[in-house]
Amino acid sequence: MLGLRALLGIGVLVTSRGGGLLAQKGVCPLLGGNSPLSRECPRHQSTMAQAVKFLSQEEAQHIDEELFTEYQYSVDQLMELAGLSCATAVARAYPLDSLLKPRPTVLVVCGPGNNGGDGLVCARHLKLFGYEPTIVYPKRPNKPLFQNLTVQCEKMDIPFLPEMPSEEVVIDEAYNLVIDAIFGFSFQGAVREPFGSIISTLKKATVPIASIDIPSGWDVEKGSPDGLQPDLLISLTAPKKSARHFRGRYHFLGGRFVPPALERKYQLNLPQYPGTDCVLQLS
Amino acid sequence: MRGYACAVAITKAFPLSSLSRKQPTVLAVCGPEQNGAVGLVCARHLRIFDYEPTIFYPKRSHCTLHQDFTVQCEKMDIPFLSYLPTEVQLINDAYNMVIDAILGPETDIKSVKEPYTGILTTLKQVKIPTASVDMPSGWDVEEARADGLQPDVLISLLAPKKCAATFSGRHFLAGRFLPYDIQRKYELNLPPFPSTECLVQL
Repeated sequence: MLGLRALLGIGVLVTSRGGGLLAQKGVCPLLGGNSPLSRECPRHQSTMAQAVKFLSQEEAQHIDEELFTEYQYSVDQLMELAGLSCATAVARAYPLDSLLKPRPTVLVVCGPGNNGGDGLVCARHLKLFGYEPTIVYPKRPNKPLFQNLTVQCEKMDIPFLPEMPSEEVVIDEAYNLVIDAIFGFSFQGAVREPFGSIISTLKKATVPIASIDIPSGWDVEKGSPDGLQPDLLISLTAPKKSARHFRGRYHFLGGRFVPPALERKYQLNLPQYPGTDCVLQLS
Repeated sequence: MRGYACAVAITKAFPLSSLSRKQPTVLAVCGPEQNGAVGLVCARHLRIFDYEPTIFYPKRSHCTLHQDFTVQCEKMDIPFLSYLPTEVQLINDAYNMVIDAILGPETDIKSVKEPYTGILTTLKQVKIPTASVDMPSGWDVEEARADGLQPDVLISLLAPKKCAATFSGRHFLAGRFLPYDIQRKYELNLPPFPSTECLVQL
């Protein structure tokens, strides 16, 4: 067909920041040729050959940084997708009709950083899914991102407790489960108050705990034998090394936004998510 | 989240297994404003869902957020066309479907100029299915227009627009994120979304 050949001859039908056709890794069908994408997709190869990679703290930090600098994602974007993944994993592991208490109550404990932000987003989506979250958010960063997320939750009629219940029986009686959104993969060093006491209380509670990304208080790589023992762990982007020490019933992977090039670079060997799901159960 | 919900709607309306071409190619035509930005995000999620989107985005937004969306797509190895062929058969042969993310409720229909008038003329002639984001491009937000696009699928974002009342194709409501007080204030009466899904077929 004359038209198509003329387009092929031009060869600059496709523009990209990289400049020109040769830089394009993707394949535009108007240029003809079979797509190498499916055959070369590392994800298809990896599920057969290699296990998913468990990240060190440094790798996790580098990946995060690259997503924001080179790939130009905003923190808001990724936090929203991460929080949605967490809420979805919770809904899969603890469906509404499986909850024992008369109301589908959930306590969401949010820490002072991005893990706390993930928790706020998670709470908001849990509300949309029909759960009744309550938030404890003792230390709030003075940044618009977190202030906005807080307002969004307030406007969804999600209550904020003035402080964490100090008695674990109160938690056991009032809530079906607790979402631990205190510390994430950047955590290092000593746990400062009020989070030390909060984590102690949570360790004594008998209701299931779902931790976002890292069980709070754990060393991000080595875990913690006498630390929090969650029932559900939602690893975001890729599991961290400490996840090898996870002994709970449910380990989900969430944060389905990793560009193929980044996955290849760090050899993440991420397994295939089912369909359009934003979570994948690893165990 | 709108772009994400849009992409999920596309996978429901056009599952990978149902596509007739050997490769799961999709053409996303993105306009200069919000509607186009949603199209960019939708394309990125479709790539994650293993579709092969190609984007045509002739007039780039000045908004930094939208520029970031463009970079994110490029970094996902999504090709950007430098022009849209006027020979419709090329589009029919290369893609399984077209996503119309050109004009949305924010656009004043009377102010639409080139290149969009030409693009709409071309797209009106394609034989492959078209899915419109939020409202069919070329329609008025309150009223359907026969000289606008006539898509097979409409993906309304957050709430259907008035013009959608007469839409006779497959209609999805995508985007489960509206706070309850807004829903109450505008008496939206949105249908319930199943379990954790972000879209519902109307």
